[in-house]
Amino acid sequence: MAEAPTLVVGCGNLIRGDDAAGPVLVRVLAERGVPANVRLLDAGTAGMDVGFAMRGMRRVVLVDASRVGVEPGAVHRVPGEELVDLEPPRGGNLHRFRWDQALGFARWLLGEDYPEQVEVWLIEGASFEPGDPLTPAVAAAVDALADRLVEELAA
Amino acid sequence: MTTQDIRVSPLGQVEGDLDVKVTVTDGVVTSAWTEAAMFRGFEIILRGKDPQAGLIVTPRICGICGGSHLYKACYALDTAWRTHVPPNGTRVRNIAQACETLQSIPRWFYAIFAPDLTAAQYAGAELYEEVTRRFAPYVGTSYQRGVTLSAKPVEVYAIFGGQWPHSSFMIPGGVMCAPTLSDVTRSIAILKAWKEDWLEQQWLGCSIERWMQNQTWADVMAWVEENESQRDSDCGLFLRYAQQIGLDTYGQGYGNYLAAGTFLHPESYQNPTIEGRNAALMARSGIFVAGQDYDFDQARVSEDVTHAFYRGTGSRHPFEGVTEPIDPAEGAKQGKYTWAKAPRYDVPDHGFVPLETGPLARQVIAGKPATEAYQDHDPLMRNVVAEVGPNVLTRVLARTHEAAKYYVRVMAWLDELDLHADFYTKPTEHAEGKGFGGTEAARGALCDWIVLEDGKIANYQVITPTAWNIGPKDGDGVNGPMEQAFVGTPVSNVEFPVELANVAHSYDSCLVCTVHAYDGRTGKEITRFRVDGLG
Repeated sequence: MAEAPTLVVGCGNLIRGDDAAGPVLVRVLAERGVPANVRLLDAGTAGMDVGFAMRGMRRVVLVDASRVGVEPGAVHRVPGEELVDLEPPRGGNLHRFRWDQALGFARWLLGEDYPEQVEVWLIEGASFEPGDPLTPAVAAAVDALADRLVEELAA
Repeated sequence: MTTQDIRVSPLGQVEGDLDVKVTVTDGVVTSAWTEAAMFRGFEIILRGKDPQAGLIVTPRICGICGGSHLYKACYALDTAWRTHVPPNGTRVRNIAQACETLQSIPRWFYAIFAPDLTAAQYAGAELYEEVTRRFAPYVGTSYQRGVTLSAKPVEVYAIFGGQWPHSSFMIPGGVMCAPTLSDVTRSIAILKAWKEDWLEQQWLGCSIERWMQNQTWADVMAWVEENESQRDSDCGLFLRYAQQIGLDTYGQGYGNYLAAGTFLHPESYQNPTIEGRNAALMARSGIFVAGQDYDFDQARVSEDVTHAFYRGTGSRHPFEGVTEPIDPAEGAKQGKYTWAKAPRYDVPDHGFVPLETGPLARQVIAGKPATEAYQDHDPLMRNVVAEVGPNVLTRVLARTHEAAKYYVRVMAWLDELDLHADFYTKPTEHAEGKGFGGTEAARGALCDWIVLEDGKIANYQVITPTAWNIGPKDGDGVNGPMEQAFVGTPVSNVEFPVELANVAHSYDSCLVCTVHAYDGRTGKEITRFRVDGLG
C-alpha cells in the first residue's frame, strides 16, 4: 500500500500573529483526527522543505496566510490554473519562501513525480505582530476551513 | 573622484528584513550601514511565560535553524534547573544539531552562494563556462544533485526528532525519544549514502580521510593539483575559480572572532552548569582578537542599543538586557537606524569590540592547543587565515570544511548510543534561577540567557549569529563586523554589485534582504523587486 498519499501542510510563522494560520490549522486537524493516509506537516517558515515533503504524495493541500488587502478571515482557494506555471524562486535566501515559490521549487525538484493534485488555501490575516494570537476573524476562518478539510479528507 | 550611495540587497530577489547601504568611491566601498527591519519581539513574548516557552518560541525565530535554537534553549533551562542529562540525551542532541548543519552546508553553497559565481561580470574568467554548467541555479549539474541531496541529513534529524523543522523533542533533562536499533542503522545508512554521493564523489573528489590530512593552505593548494578527481571536484573547481575572480582579495573584516562552541561531551556535561560548559565542549568556544586567544565567558557579552530602535544608549549584559522598542521615526532623530542591537564582547585589554562569528570563527578557534582528547583541535583554518587572510574564499572554505568534520562526529555518536540506557532524567522545575545555553548554528554563535522568577520567565534574551555579524555601529561609531567586511570591496558594476552579494553570502546571514538599488548620485532607483507576502 502506498504510504500517506495525502499531505496537508501549514506554512507560516507560529509567533507572528495571523501568519500562524497554517500551522494552527495543522494542529486543529491533528486534534480532530484525520485518516491514516493523511500526513500533517507544520512547515513553519522552512519553505524549501515543503518540496521535499511532497515527494511520494498523490495529493497536497497547502494552507498559508495572505496579506492581499481583502477582508481579514477571508478564505480563498487559489484557482488551479494559477498553480500550473509556477517558477522556482530566483537566487536569494532560504529563509522566506512564499507558498508559490515553495510549489515552484517542488515542481523543479520532483519533476514527473510532482503530486497529481495540489490545492492551496489562503487565509487573509489582519495582524502580523510578533507574539499576537490569531485575530478572531482568522481563528474563526481556521476552524471553518478545518471543518471542511476534515470532511473532504474523510471522503 | 566620484562618490555615490547605493542601497543594495546582498541576498537577492525577495522581500526582506535587511538592507545594506554602502557608499562607493571610485569603485570601492568606503563605508557601509546594515539596517535590520526585524524587531526582536520574541523576547517580549517570552516575558512572564512558562519557563519552557523558549523551547517553543525560539525555534520559530528561524525556519532553517530551528534545531540549533532548540539545542541552546534547552541548555539554558538545563543550567537554570540544574538538571541531569544522561550521556545518551546529549548524544542525540549533538546528532540532531550536527545534522541540521550538514544539511545547511551544501544547500547554502549551491542555492545561495554559488549562483553569484555565474554572474555576467565573470564571463571573461577561464573557468566561467564550467562554473556555469555546474552552478547555474536549477539547471546546473552540481546544483541539482547538491540541493536534492541536501535534504538527506535532516532525515536523520526527523528519525530522532519526529520531524524537521520545528520539532521540540529536546527537553530539559534529555530528549523525548526512544530510538531503536533500526533507527540507528537507518541513520547510518542515510548519512553514508550522503557522504559517498555528495561529499566524497561530488564535493571533494576524494575520501574524507584524505581531505582531513590538509593542515595548511599549502596542503590545500597541493591537494587541488594532486590528481584530476580532486582538481575537478566542486571544491577543487571552486578554489581555482575563486582565485581567478578575486574572492581571496576582499571581504576581510576585522579578523577578530567569537565562537560560543558546541557539541557538549556526553560524559563530561551530565550536570550542566554555566561554569562547567567551556571545559565540556567538543567544538570549543573562544575569542580570537589581534592574534591572541582568550577564553569565552558569557559574562563578558553585552548588547549596545545606541543605534538601535530601543530606549536608551549604552550596553547591558543579557541577564540585565531590556528590549523596549521605540518608534523608529523618533529613534532616527537620535541617530538610531536599525532594529538589531549591537552585540559586543569585553575583551581583556581591548574593551568592547565587535566580533565575527560563523564557521571561519569556530575553525580559527579550533586551532588553539587542546587539553582534552575529546576536544576538536584543527590547525587548518588558522593557518589559512595567517597565509591568505580572512576573505570571501576563506569563509567558504571554513564552512565547507566542516562537512567532513561533522560527518565523522555524527557517525561516532550514533555508534556510541546505548539503546538500553536512559535518554532522559526528569528534572526538578525550580522556580528561581538563571541559565545560559549556547551552540553553534550553521551561521555561528547562538546563545540564550534566561532568568526565572516565581516559576515564570522574568527575562529572556537571544543573541543570534546574524546579530553578531550584522549588528550596527556601537556608541563609539565602530562598524559592525559585516559593515567592516564591506569596506574596501571593489564594485565593478553598481547596477549589479555582485561583489557585495559575495561578501554578504559568505556570512550566510539569516535575514532576508530587500532588493533596492539606488544610484545615490542621481537618486534613481536602479533595481526593484518588492514582493509583498509572508510565509
